[in-house]
Amino acid sequence: MFGNRDYLTNYDPKKFRQRLRVFTWCVLCAFFLLIARMWYLQIVKGDVLRQRSESNRIRIQEIKPLRGLIVDSRGDILVNNQSSFDISIIPEIAKNAADVRNRLAGLCDWGDASIFLEEAALKSPRPFVPVKVARNIGRDKLAVVESHTLNLPGVVVDIVPVREYIYGAMDAHLLGYVGEISSSELGRDASAAYRADDVVGKYGIEKYLDDVLKGKSGGEQVEVDAAGRRLNVLGRIDPVSGHTLVLNIDSDLQKVCWDAFKEQAGTVVVMEPRTGAVMAMVSRPSFDPNLFNRGISEQSWKTLTEDPLCPLQNRAISGQYPPGSTYKLFVAAAALEEGLITENTETWCNGTYPMGNRTFRCWRKRGHGTVDLHRAIVESCDVYFYHLGDMLGVDTMAEYAKTFGFGSATGVSLPGEKSGLVPTREWKLRRFGEPWQRGETTSLAIGQGFALVTPLQLLRAYCALANGGTLYKPWLVKRIETADGQTVQEFSPEVEGIVPVSRKNLDILRNALWGVVNEPHGTGGALKRKEQDVCGKTGTSQVISLPDDEEDQKGEIPYRFRDHALFVCFAPYTDPEVAVVVVVEHGGHGGSAAAPIARRVIDGYFRLAQERGVK
Amino acid sequence: MKIDRRLLINFDWVLLGMVLLISAIGILNIYSASHNLYTRGEPLYTKQLYWLLVGLVLMIITFSVDYHTIIRYAYLIYLVGIALLFLVALYGNITHGSQRWLVLWGFSFQPSELMKLVLIIVLARYCTDNVQDGFRARNLLVLFAIVGLPVYMIARQPDLGTAMFLVLLFATITLFVGVGRKLILWSVAGGMALAPVGWFLILKDYQKERILTFLDPDRDPLGTGYHIIQSIIAVGSGSLWGKGFLKGTQTQLKFLPEQQTDFAFSVFAEEWGFLGVVVLIFIFLALILWGLQLARNSRDLPGTLLAFGVTMFVFWGIFINIGMVLGIFPVVGIPLPFISYGGSSLVVLLMGAGLLMNVSMRRFILQP
Repeated sequence: MFGNRDYLTNYDPKKFRQRLRVFTWCVLCAFFLLIARMWYLQIVKGDVLRQRSESNRIRIQEIKPLRGLIVDSRGDILVNNQSSFDISIIPEIAKNAADVRNRLAGLCDWGDASIFLEEAALKSPRPFVPVKVARNIGRDKLAVVESHTLNLPGVVVDIVPVREYIYGAMDAHLLGYVGEISSSELGRDASAAYRADDVVGKYGIEKYLDDVLKGKSGGEQVEVDAAGRRLNVLGRIDPVSGHTLVLNIDSDLQKVCWDAFKEQAGTVVVMEPRTGAVMAMVSRPSFDPNLFNRGISEQSWKTLTEDPLCPLQNRAISGQYPPGSTYKLFVAAAALEEGLITENTETWCNGTYPMGNRTFRCWRKRGHGTVDLHRAIVESCDVYFYHLGDMLGVDTMAEYAKTFGFGSATGVSLPGEKSGLVPTREWKLRRFGEPWQRGETTSLAIGQGFALVTPLQLLRAYCALANGGTLYKPWLVKRIETADGQTVQEFSPEVEGIVPVSRKNLDILRNALWGVVNEPHGTGGALKRKEQDVCGKTGTSQVISLPDDEEDQKGEIPYRFRDHALFVCFAPYTDPEVAVVVVVEHGGHGGSAAAPIARRVIDGYFRLAQERGVK
Repeated sequence: MKIDRRLLINFDWVLLGMVLLISAIGILNIYSASHNLYTRGEPLYTKQLYWLLVGLVLMIITFSVDYHTIIRYAYLIYLVGIALLFLVALYGNITHGSQRWLVLWGFSFQPSELMKLVLIIVLARYCTDNVQDGFRARNLLVLFAIVGLPVYMIARQPDLGTAMFLVLLFATITLFVGVGRKLILWSVAGGMALAPVGWFLILKDYQKERILTFLDPDRDPLGTGYHIIQSIIAVGSGSLWGKGFLKGTQTQLKFLPEQQTDFAFSVFAEEWGFLGVVVLIFIFLALILWGLQLARNSRDLPGTLLAFGVTMFVFWGIFINIGMVLGIFPVVGIPLPFISYGGSSLVVLLMGAGLLMNVSMRRFILQP
């Protein structure tokens, strides 16, 4: 079949040579295309792609810093760092990660720290990158896992530092808590100083001074291969631990306050009048900040947020209360300074103060009889102050209140502070579109009505009374130190202003405050110690005003309508070194509900001072 | 067998030189791509060297037998090729989900690679016998049958890349031999009509995914798009001078997939840069042009067809493989001739080179 040689004679090379030329050109074009593409990739995009190959090869692995500690004024640690343990599986070593996972899950009852492992993670193209399967396991479980390491190839334990709040709920509002940064916080942060899995302060000092506490991340420049295996460390920058905060808080005193206050809701704050140093701050009810450490459970979070008493609120700075009779001192100061009265100005209190078709009442139904300023403060006579209010007018009262720091935030180093409210004519018009009523001035003169103060504001104003007129900024952070104890920044008392009240008038007021506690008929008798050195003032702030005929049934009115009990005091009378404010929400009368708590705190303070002095 | 002295005088040393040069570059490149790769037994570059030696022996055998004799036994050779494909279907080793390998005495071999060469031989024979001045429709039907059977068998292994390659080779040779305009139009129309059928009925999901990824590599950067992205990074990062032998980070840290086989060219481009690439491509170009020149100088049709077929076989391998590595074509498993690791491919190519030499050295001798 192939025997004949037809193909030799029939072969016409010309035709094929022509076609070969066409094919040759096609081949040349194809090779040109390849070279052109190569030119584009290697010469035009060469630099860009070389960078991409470098970033392929070199990873920056963040090394997280330790968060700064927080200690009290005496060096007692309030917040520490503890180890928590996470479990990861390295797929490449585990070979069969799902199987290892199941073995791990079968080891013990994992409870909350359930073992998780997404299927997708197993198919990762970088099998040397560990995949997290459990977070925050306890030491007991860690021991179980470690004793089975032979059966668990590829299982590694990561140590993750967590915050340990030594005193738990006691310091919760002050110190706050931390948590993983949320996407909204991340979006807000323009400086890009935070990364997606950073732990940041969420509340309290942890939040307010997060910058100082968080420290600086270090990093390792690591060469990795396609499987994610670390080959070389090319460079390393050590992380810098966060700074230590030294607070003015005295942890022992904090404990005294915590124990002194057993009521449902309220707050105790202790300040040093000479400096504005905050020595203790307790808010009740409280919560355990350690719950937030590795992400709070949904259940616990719900319990906290749905509690009608709002345990997450720091009442010392964000609770706003009508100041009640504690406000009278500032009304008196205004009247004295304006020259409307002297310490001898007397008035007659028969228990009522008629105005138009309304009658304002003194808290003491049968009246106080003839009272001068001193007696009016000591016995907290309302009628005397109704007169003063009328004489001063709302705006003059507001002027003086503002000089005592009311109506604006104190600037304490804590987030979420409220500014309170000092009402004026203009404010009312703006807020309600209605003119100011004369009767509202009358209420205001005894600290009821629109006026709102935070316990910290009130305490600071009383410190100004105590120290001779200097208004300090509440001073919480004493010093910032590096982790190894070098001082970074030392803070000193900050003067916000001097109240426009003369020495003489301040003495008159202080003397009256001494009388409140130590004289017969004084409303603050609970604070009368054998040293007779405490000055103070009771306050009862009305939540709603009740008609006269219901006054007698106070014991039966619902909790949420009961009056708040306030007490604010300082000691000793000469050269005061400690001031205390107590607010008991819905506690009733200041003298009966708040003053005993203040007594325990004052007693505790002097007992501690004595013990330490002896030492 | 009597050896004619003229055969030795006319032996194509240039062709042999080019083939050996490229193969040597290939082995160096495989060394770079795999020296730190863990493999059982011999390292890959040693294995490739053994295959090179085997291939050279087979090359000598191939050019020693007069190509007219080879053409005479073309159909027998074809039957052997088909039989091997049947053996693969029956006893072949399955790796990565496809059945492509035949294991004989410890050597594994891909008959589908051999089929490329067999197809060239059988087409040369058929065209010589039946075609005077272009194809007629009847001829085409027979050819479809001849080509269709191995294409089908390879496609169901599945090895769609090689199957398509056979079709491409067939189309090239057919065009060369000459087809009427009408037939071309009909074929194009038919192809376009069949394309959607192919997409929905024949292509498997992973194959469709590859085509989609080719159109947009960032569809799935860690999955199917990974290969092409890493390859482009490797090639581009070579820049003008390259990173140097054994210094390509993409290669040495194994970011490149299949770096000693299908993506061997990325390794080369990363380490040798644009200059190295241009040199390699020019050697390839020289080889192709040399082959086409052999086709031109052959005194008879079978010689022309064999030379042309083998040359285009090499050309398409180069063009498709490099095009794929550079992201011009979708990812298909076509090795780069003489460079990619793979015994079957290398041996078959060397036998192809043997055929070229065969035609070359006999171009002055008319068979009696």
